[in-house]
Amino acid sequence: MRINLKTKIWLTICFIVLMFSFFTLFYFPRQQGNLLISDYNTEVQNLANTVALGVNIALTEQNFEGVQTAIEYVKNDPRLQFVSMVQFDTSWNTSHTAFVIKKTIFKTFPEKEHPTPGMLSTDSVIVKNALFTTNVMSGAILLGFNTEEITESKEKIKIASIIVSSIIFMIGILIGFVLARNISVPVLALRDAANRVGEGDLDQKVKHIPNDEIGDLGKAFNKMVTDLSTTRKELNEKNVQLSSTVSTLNHTLLELKNTHAQLIQSEKMASLGELTAGIAHEIQNPLNFVNNFSEVNKELLIEMQEEIDKGNMNEVKSIAKDVIENEEKINHHGKRADAIVKGMLQHSRKSSGQKEPTNINTLADEFLRLSYQGLRAKDKSFNVTMKTDFDMSIGKINIIPQDIGRVLLNLYNNAFYAVQQRQKELSKEVTPFEKASPLHEPTVSVTTKKPGNSVIITVSDNGNGIPQNIIDKIFQPFFTTKPTGEGTGLGLSLSYDIIKAHGGEIKVESKEGEFTEFVVLLPAS
Amino acid sequence: MKKQLLPYSLVNHFATKKILWLLCLLCLFFTSKAQTPSLMAIGNVLGVPGDMKFSELKSILMGEKQRWKNGDRILIALMKTNTAVGKATSEKVYDMSGDELNKFWLALVFQGKAQAPKFFASADELEDFVAQNPGAIGIVDRPLTGSEIKYININGQKIL
Repeated sequence: MRINLKTKIWLTICFIVLMFSFFTLFYFPRQQGNLLISDYNTEVQNLANTVALGVNIALTEQNFEGVQTAIEYVKNDPRLQFVSMVQFDTSWNTSHTAFVIKKTIFKTFPEKEHPTPGMLSTDSVIVKNALFTTNVMSGAILLGFNTEEITESKEKIKIASIIVSSIIFMIGILIGFVLARNISVPVLALRDAANRVGEGDLDQKVKHIPNDEIGDLGKAFNKMVTDLSTTRKELNEKNVQLSSTVSTLNHTLLELKNTHAQLIQSEKMASLGELTAGIAHEIQNPLNFVNNFSEVNKELLIEMQEEIDKGNMNEVKSIAKDVIENEEKINHHGKRADAIVKGMLQHSRKSSGQKEPTNINTLADEFLRLSYQGLRAKDKSFNVTMKTDFDMSIGKINIIPQDIGRVLLNLYNNAFYAVQQRQKELSKEVTPFEKASPLHEPTVSVTTKKPGNSVIITVSDNGNGIPQNIIDKIFQPFFTTKPTGEGTGLGLSLSYDIIKAHGGEIKVESKEGEFTEFVVLLPAS
Repeated sequence: MKKQLLPYSLVNHFATKKILWLLCLLCLFFTSKAQTPSLMAIGNVLGVPGDMKFSELKSILMGEKQRWKNGDRILIALMKTNTAVGKATSEKVYDMSGDELNKFWLALVFQGKAQAPKFFASADELEDFVAQNPGAIGIVDRPLTGSEIKYININGQKIL
């Protein structure tokens, strides 16, 4: 249940007014009535004591004028209900064993009243007694005073309380209106203005500002709205500027993407260029077979024609059989060249971006040979020992073959480059004897493993290694240690992105002058 | 001897005792007769009549009459009941004991039915009061000492 501010103010005022009304209408008159009764009791008792004392003194002196004076002390009081003289007589009880005091009303004024000796106070009369003892008589003055005056006083107090309560009630209502006007109205106006500001209307202002704390709040609110309005204008201006900047940035980003794509394509073409020699060598080999067997077949067909002319059919058949065998070899090597060309085309094509089940061992072996042949095409003197240890249980895993092939090609090229550089450096330092039996044997090893639900491809070499001060930078774009023109610096960076895109990891471990090992981890499923 | 002596002595003893009792009674009679004061009614020379009947006097002294014929207020002056004159007054005039007289006046005064009488311890004070207050009436047992007071003949006699 939600109680608004105006209701709270009215509830508070009503509570205060009711409390005050209760006090003035009930508590205060009751207290005053009790006080009046108490005072009246005391007064009547004092009067009784005074009369009894006067009677006592007067009777002792047999001064009846004194008695008269004492009685007249209360006789003329308009509140007097009665004044009686009670006589105490001592006599034997009926069994004559003890004395009993018999109390009788001796005389009463006025005579029409008939109080009893043991009479007690009632709501209408206050009765008090005071003892006296003289040689004439022992007894008590019994004084009865009516409570009409008290009742009248109570009524007056009650009326006064009602009047005061009514005045307080009216004042409460007036205060309620004033408070509601001075507190609730400005606060509600402030609330409404705040709501409209919250809805976006920053032209709202609190108009009637009282000269108090709520007024200060209103001023602060107006200042806040003004500041908000100013800030919003500034923000709008900056938004326009930002929109322009964003547009520019988008344009720049588009250009960057294009540039990036071009760079990737350049990198791809660069690696393709490196492959070309290897590919050419790979194609050259089957082509040599094709050419040689074609030459052989040509000679065999000439020989077969001569044998036909001679009519030596057995020899013809034997030659025909050789021709057929050669044709099969030509066909085999032609298909091999065809496969190489198709592979090259596949590498040069853009990635489809679709993963497909791929035999990672075949892919690793194929690109290892391509890379080696490419390097050999450039430097015929270069020899390297290639070691492979493929886990045949891996089977096919879901990868984008073009991308992973590019990663492997990068790693192989770097490995071959490293061992070649190491070999060149060592060849400058070794003696002729050491050249005859070289201590360093350039080796590139490739292994695959499947521990658990992942596949690990390790490419290691015993090249010159990577210095520790640059090992953290090798995956950064455009970072390269190769001479200008030999590397773009994008190979490892792209490899890193490709492996990450496959949900895998690529790590490097190296010791300068000893080895480098790249570990590629790919999810198996 | 013993038998004779005893009756003789007893006879003498009873005779002597009777005589003594008679003598005592006679003494008491005469003593009481001699100690009873002779009461006289006195009044101020102004307002108080010189003659009245005993019944009239009794009525006045019992507070039944408040004013004299000339309109003066009747003021009663009595000797205190613990005095011989007071006691005699209560017995002769009021036919009451002293306590009864006191209660009689207490009742009247308490209810406002009568003007309270003045009680005095000495005759001088009583006579001074009567002399100084016109309409005052009192009972004394001795001759007058002032000129402002007079005897009131009751049933034609000075002595009550």
